[in-house]
Amino acid sequence: MKLLEWNQEETVNLTNCDREPIHIPGSIQPHGILFVLSEPDLRIEQVSDTTTAILGITPQEMLGQPLETWMSPATMAKIKPALAMTGDFEQLNPLKVELQASENVLTFNGIVHRSPQDKIILELEPRTFSNENHFFQFYQLTKGILWQMQRATNLSELCSLIVKEVRKLTGFDRVMIYKFAPDGSGEVIAEEKPAEIESYLGLHYPDTDIPKQAKHLYCFNWLRLIPDVDYQPAPILIPSPEGTAVAETAVFSPSSLDLSYSVLRSVSSIHIQYLKNMGVGASMSISLQKEGKLWGLIACHHLTPRFVSYEIRTVCEFLGQVMSLDLTCKEERGNQEDKMRLKTLQTKFVDRLSGAENLLDALVATEADRVTLLELVNAEGAVVCVEGNLTSIGKTPKSADIRDLLVWLEDKFEQHLFVTDRLPHLYHQAAEFKEVASGLLALSIARVQQNYILWFRPEILQQVTWAGNPNKPKLLEEDGTVTLLPRQSFAQWQETVYQTSQTWQPWEIEGAVELRSAIVSILLRKAEELAAINQELERSNIELDAFAYIASHDLKEPLRGIHNYSTFLLEDYGNVLDAEGVDKLETLVRLTKRMEDLIESLLHFSRLGRQDLNWATINLNALVKNVMEVISMSKGKEVVEVRMPRPLPQVRGDLVMIEELLTNLIGNGLKYNNRAEKWVEIGYQDEIESLPPVNSNSEGHYWQTFYIRDNGIGIREKHLDSIFRIFKRLHGQNKYGGGTGAGLTIVKKIVERHGGKIRVESVYGEGSTFYFTLPVEK
Amino acid sequence: MNQKKIILVVEDSDEDFTAFTRIMQELESPHQITRVCDGDEVLDYLYNEGAYADLKTAPRPAIILMDLNLPGTDGRELIQQVKQDDNLKDIPIVAFTTSSNAKDIKACYSYGVNSYIVKPMGVALLRKTLRELLNYWLKYAILPSDMDLI
Repeated sequence: MKLLEWNQEETVNLTNCDREPIHIPGSIQPHGILFVLSEPDLRIEQVSDTTTAILGITPQEMLGQPLETWMSPATMAKIKPALAMTGDFEQLNPLKVELQASENVLTFNGIVHRSPQDKIILELEPRTFSNENHFFQFYQLTKGILWQMQRATNLSELCSLIVKEVRKLTGFDRVMIYKFAPDGSGEVIAEEKPAEIESYLGLHYPDTDIPKQAKHLYCFNWLRLIPDVDYQPAPILIPSPEGTAVAETAVFSPSSLDLSYSVLRSVSSIHIQYLKNMGVGASMSISLQKEGKLWGLIACHHLTPRFVSYEIRTVCEFLGQVMSLDLTCKEERGNQEDKMRLKTLQTKFVDRLSGAENLLDALVATEADRVTLLELVNAEGAVVCVEGNLTSIGKTPKSADIRDLLVWLEDKFEQHLFVTDRLPHLYHQAAEFKEVASGLLALSIARVQQNYILWFRPEILQQVTWAGNPNKPKLLEEDGTVTLLPRQSFAQWQETVYQTSQTWQPWEIEGAVELRSAIVSILLRKAEELAAINQELERSNIELDAFAYIASHDLKEPLRGIHNYSTFLLEDYGNVLDAEGVDKLETLVRLTKRMEDLIESLLHFSRLGRQDLNWATINLNALVKNVMEVISMSKGKEVVEVRMPRPLPQVRGDLVMIEELLTNLIGNGLKYNNRAEKWVEIGYQDEIESLPPVNSNSEGHYWQTFYIRDNGIGIREKHLDSIFRIFKRLHGQNKYGGGTGAGLTIVKKIVERHGGKIRVESVYGEGSTFYFTLPVEK
Repeated sequence: MNQKKIILVVEDSDEDFTAFTRIMQELESPHQITRVCDGDEVLDYLYNEGAYADLKTAPRPAIILMDLNLPGTDGRELIQQVKQDDNLKDIPIVAFTTSSNAKDIKACYSYGVNSYIVKPMGVALLRKTLRELLNYWLKYAILPSDMDLI
């Protein structure tokens, strides 16, 4: 039987390396002996085809025989209690095993364990480590290293220490720490080696270099050793019906011997080829696990064959396990400083925000705020989107691109968050602005209000140095399947990674999430405050209503009484009073009437401020005509003229209010006018202003400035500021027809209720011009 | 149809009532004026309770002239109550008040008031208002109470 052929018949043409059943190879490496023992009589059921070479006893001689035929009673006394234990033989292994060979007694290290199928497996390895007291030895070897490991302040120090110490312990030429990336590829992050051999430090290895089931095996088998890559696999033999020994794999068996825990397990021929291609003579690897997942490997290479004793391997495995436990802590500590800095920054930022009037605007209020917003997540650009309005900071895509991106993002948020360091791969349009936005961290603060914060990171043209071309070993067969072959070349092969940004670190993402919850809680608080203010406003509105009612009813009632009684007095006693007495009583009556007018004006003014506007489209030309008819009636034979240089546009407003506005302004122009020919001109300016609308009714409208000019008496400049004040009169009560002095106050209120502004220009003695803005249709 | 009719005047202000009676005298109104001062008294009068238990002291009025702001039960409430009472709702009620508040006017009409008149400022205007009010309601209009007399 040609062993090599047999071993390779299944594997060489393997179309998917991931399918190779590496845990049931049916063979071992030939430097030791493997027994499968029956229970409880410990007869040899299976044995590796290595006994002839090592012991001078053929497998056929041993198969079916009790183990004690060759073992010393002392050895048997050690094995039996080991088997009685429920599973963990680690504290007993290795057993010192004395075996009666053909000529003399040989001593081995024996390793007893149960296979996953619960078979008792005894493996014998050459005994090279002489010291009997291996606990003491173990302590000596590990004590110093553990102390140094504790002192390492970060991951890279820890890695450097481990590769140095493992190399010292094992004597391997090259010891490396190989770390897996999330995509399964690996990178050499620490290395210890003699100066004369080529460095692998910084090299990347593709995912396919270590197939999935190997990675799986590494999770529970912490250490693998190949003392000689040129070994000939030795089959495990079982008795044949003819009484001879045959390979275990040659017989159909639903449960091939599982060698997952075996130290002698033969490895994949592909892996051997891979090592040979790399020029390795012996190899050992120790798993590094973080939180139950394979994090990396301590990989050891020797240029020539090299065996490492079980004891030293145990020390290495122990170091690997201790390092595994320490990984989280050491990785954390490296990031601690950065995290602390971000945390401080964030706390200060949130403090400042919480005091702000408009929170989202405050995010970008000052230059310092804008810088902080970027630094919070170490981004180069950011966009704050508040109710659909974008504010960009730093390097960001164009507004139009952002809007498209926001549409795409709509359903991408998970927990209000979307993070990628390769946006163009997910959103192809992003390829156009990959220079600024290959990385995106997006927060959705309130989707309904369209409040978002987006952070961008630029593309980094990442140079990945691969050990050989990572794509080469994939060969496309004629039948379309992909064949994986071990790579021949490990020379540096550089690949440029496009459309990728620096990875967002977990604590940066966390910072963004915390910022969101801070913003949301501040927003909620603001909303509560606003609700309280609204409630207060509503209450004071009700109070104002009550006040207005009191003013209209309770003040007027006694006033009316005074008026009536004064009148009755005049009627009943007018004849007994002299002229002066009559005059004083008449004054009293007039004053009560005036008081009533003032109360009425005040009421009217307060109602104007609160009543809802009845929005409509108003034809100003017709309205001016109406107003003039009413005014003309009161003017009698006086010559009054209204000039309108061109037709007026339609406005949006409350008809009753606009009519009052026109009546008051035109009326004033004619009232405060001493000329024989009085005129008032009504017109508008050409430019329209697109101001933000004051309410939904004036949305989509523009502000147009109208003017009403008169040739009246004008207003002295010093009075220009006070003319809009309520009850402010510039003239005596009896001049210019009297009045309460509320007219212009009401005009101003009406303009303001429509969202507009009013101002006055005047030349004393020549006339005044009132300018006011009203919403017009586009 | 210028018989003597009963006008129930609901007025808490003595001065306003004095002005009212003065003008009624000037106008030589033949009608009987009965005054009550607050809302509760109106209810007693209309339901013949309390001081008005005797039907003779509280005959059913032809019309009610009512101020709105009253001590005790408010005028608005009174209108609502009377207009929901099947026995009383045919008595015309004229609100005669100082309030020109739009809310009051709407509320009173929705409760079923028959007319709403704002008390005018000035004796001349008051005189004119009352003359027309009396003419309208007690001279030209036919009231449900007129039917009882036929």
